[in-house]
Amino acid sequence: MKLYAYCLVEDLDPFDATTRGISGAAVRALQIDELAVLVSDFNADSVAVTRENALDHAAVVRSVLDRTTPLPFRFGTLVTEQQLRSYITSRKPALQTRFAHVRGCVEMSVKIIREVSTDNEAPKHDEITSGTSFLEEKRRALLGSEQKATEATELSTWLHEQVDSLTRDERVVVRPSEKLVLAAAHLVERDKIPQYKEKLAAARKNRTELHFLFSGPWPPYSFANIELEFKTQFGVS
Amino acid sequence: MSSSFDQMIVTEEWESTDLSLLETLDHVLNRGLVIAGEITISVADIDLIFVGLNVLVSSVETAHEVLRKRQTE
Repeated sequence: MKLYAYCLVEDLDPFDATTRGISGAAVRALQIDELAVLVSDFNADSVAVTRENALDHAAVVRSVLDRTTPLPFRFGTLVTEQQLRSYITSRKPALQTRFAHVRGCVEMSVKIIREVSTDNEAPKHDEITSGTSFLEEKRRALLGSEQKATEATELSTWLHEQVDSLTRDERVVVRPSEKLVLAAAHLVERDKIPQYKEKLAAARKNRTELHFLFSGPWPPYSFANIELEFKTQFGVS
Repeated sequence: MSSSFDQMIVTEEWESTDLSLLETLDHVLNRGLVIAGEITISVADIDLIFVGLNVLVSSVETAHEVLRKRQTE
């Protein structure tokens, strides 16, 4: 029998087990040292990636967010109880550090999209008839990429400056070559959420050329992983 | 769930239901604690193959497409 793991929690006593998990399975809290893992018994060898299962996973993690800040496992985490105990016991210092980092916080998500201009579109392949035009097209593409990268970096700095005083941490992915300019996750203390929302709402009004997608509060999915710390601590590559 | 932690999806008049789902998938499938080698998933839903592997891009593509359609209406 394997266990499907939803999230780690550090202070959830008692656990309200009314939320159903993947495929309607009962969810229970498995106590391991000072921590607990929300798990369901799972009989199959793998978890199907379906809309329902993904939402079930999210619902279980979210069900405790009002009471505590969990460390969510990624969707599809199937383990034996022994593996889970070994994982937590061997990484306890890193997990405790991670809990201390996210405690009292939630994750807020910002995605910024830029309208793609068609004015400077490169010629299509069948329009490139000579070596010169080929090189010009290459040069145009290179300059365009550099410009997009510069713009995306500037935008990242701008966003950071808007909310820096209200965030404990951030994860930013810059994607200058795509319509998405950047995706940012902010770790925000719960009592600062209203200020954070106000700040972003005001910032958005100053950048009408951009499109924003804000979402949250989320459990701190983007701030949960400890693999980097584990590798650093133990020199594992 | 108390109202203070209801999900906030603030968009530019996009279809928030679809974006809410895609944002959820983005978080659940792409982030979170990983026990090395213990992510065991199977993919049976064609739509979600695309969403699962490219959810960040696809969610934005969806948003952009909705936006573009609204502008041309």
